[in-house]
Amino acid sequence: MKTPILIGGFALAVLPAWAQLQPIPADSIRTILLQEVAISTKRHNHQQHLQEFYTANKAATTEELLSRMPEVSFIRRGSYGMEPTIRAYSASQVSVTLDGMRIQGACTDKMDPATIYIEPLNLQSIEVQTAGGSAMQGAAIGGSLNMKLAEAELADEPRLSGAVSTGYQSAANAVLGGLRLNYATPTWGLRASGTYRNAQSYRNGNSEKVLYSQYEKANIAINGKYLLQEDLILKADFIADDGWNIGFPALPMDVGTAKARIGSISLVRENEEKRWTRLEARLYANRIAHSMDDSARPDLPVRMDMPGLSRTSGFYVEGTTAPGANQQLSVRADASASYLEASMTMYQEGQAPMFMLTWPNNRQLQSGVAAQYSWQVNTKTQLQLNSRLNVSDFSVTSSEGRDQMAVFGSTGTERQFVIPAATVQLSRMVYKKLKASISGGINGRTPTASELYGFYLFSQFDGYDYVGNPDLKPERSMQGEFTLSWQEPRVRVQATTYASRVENYIVGAHKPELSAMTMGARGVKVYYNAPYALLMGAEASAVYNINGYTQLVSTLKYSYGRDAAGEPLPMIAPLRHVSSLRKYFGDNLWVQGETEIAAAQHRNSESFGEQPTDAFMLWHLRAGYQKETARKVWQLNAGVENIFNVNYREHLDWGQITRPGRNMFVQLSMSF
Amino acid sequence: MKKYNWLTLWALAMITFFSTGCDSEDVAPMPTINYQKIAGGLTETADIKVEVYSTDKLFTGYNPLHIALFDAASGKQIEQASIKLQPMMHMMDKQHAAPAENPTTDRAVDGLFSGAVVFTMPSGDMGSWTLVVEVEADGRKTKATVPVTVVESATSRLKSFVSKTDGAKYLVAYLQPQQPKVGVNDLEVAVYRVNSMMDFPADSKLTLELNPEMPAMGHGSPNNVNPVHQSVGHYIGKVNFTMTGLWHLHLTLKDGAEEAGKVYFEVNF
Repeated sequence: MKTPILIGGFALAVLPAWAQLQPIPADSIRTILLQEVAISTKRHNHQQHLQEFYTANKAATTEELLSRMPEVSFIRRGSYGMEPTIRAYSASQVSVTLDGMRIQGACTDKMDPATIYIEPLNLQSIEVQTAGGSAMQGAAIGGSLNMKLAEAELADEPRLSGAVSTGYQSAANAVLGGLRLNYATPTWGLRASGTYRNAQSYRNGNSEKVLYSQYEKANIAINGKYLLQEDLILKADFIADDGWNIGFPALPMDVGTAKARIGSISLVRENEEKRWTRLEARLYANRIAHSMDDSARPDLPVRMDMPGLSRTSGFYVEGTTAPGANQQLSVRADASASYLEASMTMYQEGQAPMFMLTWPNNRQLQSGVAAQYSWQVNTKTQLQLNSRLNVSDFSVTSSEGRDQMAVFGSTGTERQFVIPAATVQLSRMVYKKLKASISGGINGRTPTASELYGFYLFSQFDGYDYVGNPDLKPERSMQGEFTLSWQEPRVRVQATTYASRVENYIVGAHKPELSAMTMGARGVKVYYNAPYALLMGAEASAVYNINGYTQLVSTLKYSYGRDAAGEPLPMIAPLRHVSSLRKYFGDNLWVQGETEIAAAQHRNSESFGEQPTDAFMLWHLRAGYQKETARKVWQLNAGVENIFNVNYREHLDWGQITRPGRNMFVQLSMSF
Repeated sequence: MKKYNWLTLWALAMITFFSTGCDSEDVAPMPTINYQKIAGGLTETADIKVEVYSTDKLFTGYNPLHIALFDAASGKQIEQASIKLQPMMHMMDKQHAAPAENPTTDRAVDGLFSGAVVFTMPSGDMGSWTLVVEVEADGRKTKATVPVTVVESATSRLKSFVSKTDGAKYLVAYLQPQQPKVGVNDLEVAVYRVNSMMDFPADSKLTLELNPEMPAMGHGSPNNVNPVHQSVGHYIGKVNFTMTGLWHLHLTLKDGAEEAGKVYFEVNF
């Protein structure tokens, strides 16, 4: 049992299933715990099993980790820079935050969701909340995704610890290098990490190279912690993430550079004896500069530069208290200001440069107050209330921007949106170990800057130029969720179904009288509020510890969406199932077989020119080996993904670009 | 107590909300006009000095002209006068006039009487331009003839077409936008019918259709407003530019329901 072994073919039982990680009040929260725990927890307890299910490939990017969560799907335009969505909701309906901080991507074509500026090495956990639980994070109708940053540690005696890791993936000929150092003393601690990734264009299941799918990036993060008083900690974070030469095979352009600088200072007081057991205040700022690049693409009629800039600063204050026995109240106030600008300059031989603002310089000021109240009514019943009041003000800040918006007849660009949200959730043990939770509520979301002010933003997805509409109303949603879970020490089964009716659903409407700006575009669409859309779906998961050394994790999900006219919504993933069976051989070696099955999706949106997608089935095999010496822990992870080299694409992948074929990966890490 | 904390948090949120609201707004610069003297001379009666001002060199197309009058004896500026402008092209074998707009009021504004002349060709080997300024002031009626030089404009600001409906030649002069910007721009053109070499009445009966196009990209722009006749042959509308670069403003001129002709102007910025 000393060498890592790859063992072939597990036939996996298929159980409708789904995983819940922690005994947290709400059923609508899912968390991935990352490396901190992996290193400190050496026994394979229940929690670690799930976490390893999520982090099965240790060389994975944040995106790959997220894509293993049953609620999360990715809209994929390239092998990096995918846009996370939750359930059937679109990316703009989901709130993505970094440790409670807001970050706005700086790309008008959504090539840089906040998740690309974070490495798993920066993170302690990733938290996905559905339904009303997201109210604490922001005004969203589709839930929230919060990436919790890893922190420096304190120790009784000064101590240096760290880890070095390196990895390789064959499909994209990708290399990864990572380094983490922690220095801990009784009163202060410092954590520094660095990651470098370099991936070439990958090969798909037909062993063809998918051009323009390469990327390269480096990430540095520093976190410091200082104990001011017994119960008061001062923290500071800084992350610098630089990506370059990021290919987008499904788009006509790639990304030249994408640079993020993220910083924050916070004060945390944790004291069980005080009335407020936990108080946190944080000030933060971040800046993202993004520029697209088409220099690698041959035969373009027009060359263009498309730089974008986003700057956000803000703060939040949150506190937790126990207003009574078996009750918990968390409150939060947050405010932020985000500034966005993006432009496009097109060049043609012998012509003056053609310049336009694709995002007229605009600013969003948002502030909100939120509260979450839970009450364990009795041993069988639990009640949770979530609420938020969010106020956002948008405006175009430059006269050039306002002049441009006037082309579409808009007289004013200043808008204010007030979004109330409230959710009630009731959980009750209904029969033996069967727990039922029902929740219902209202919430909403503001339009995005692109939806309000976007100026001829070309979407390769449907081939239209999109123009913003400053008169949009916010989306408002009524939604309900019902969960049944059965929990025993060895078996946990959970099934959830949800439905929401989204009023004022924001979507583009084709305007035949407008002529497209982009060459080859099919026309112009202007955002408007469709009467409503229906989004619903279900997820199920099971975790079955067959014995202490064998575990089955299985998830299933289905989403459904249609608009007021009954037409299917675009970008809705089909029925999808993942099962993994992991077996431990002693405490040091594990082997895991995995299947991933997606049904065909024929509910495609005709009006978006969306194509149906075929079903596929993938097999993966992973293994891990861990060796502990007196002062070091060595970990080797290796595996084969897509063993049978299936040529497939997910329904949410743009441009009929197929995914990587057989991928062999290996990762070695040493921690001390 | 709970309520109090809520209020504190809300107050904090609102403080940020208002304190971050101060963005620097750009202020459009005040237009400053620098007139330059382009010609001058005495009237035939030698008692009035005539000076002709323009913002720039005269070019082929519509040129606003500003006339200042001085009493030749006292040097005092004349504020009250009736002025007529008559441009004249002197060629080897013939001469011809050009469309002109006389100052509309008898009172000088800031010492200037403003009118306009549409020069139809540049000065050069073919011939040379003079401007006849007829003055009627203090009961004196006289005129001054001053030579002026007209250059070809870098981009054509004067177009012509022969009407398919009445067979007459028409001149279309470009007036606005002079400083085009991405956004909504006032569009102004002036249309004259060529009745003879000496008679160019302003037209008011044609209807104009505007269609901007970016030739490099093959696209247009939305929500343009067709120029409609205001006065003295001036048609005013709106043209929208969605980006900088070279644009063609296509104008279709219609006589009733029938197309009389088409012209286009280039705008490059």
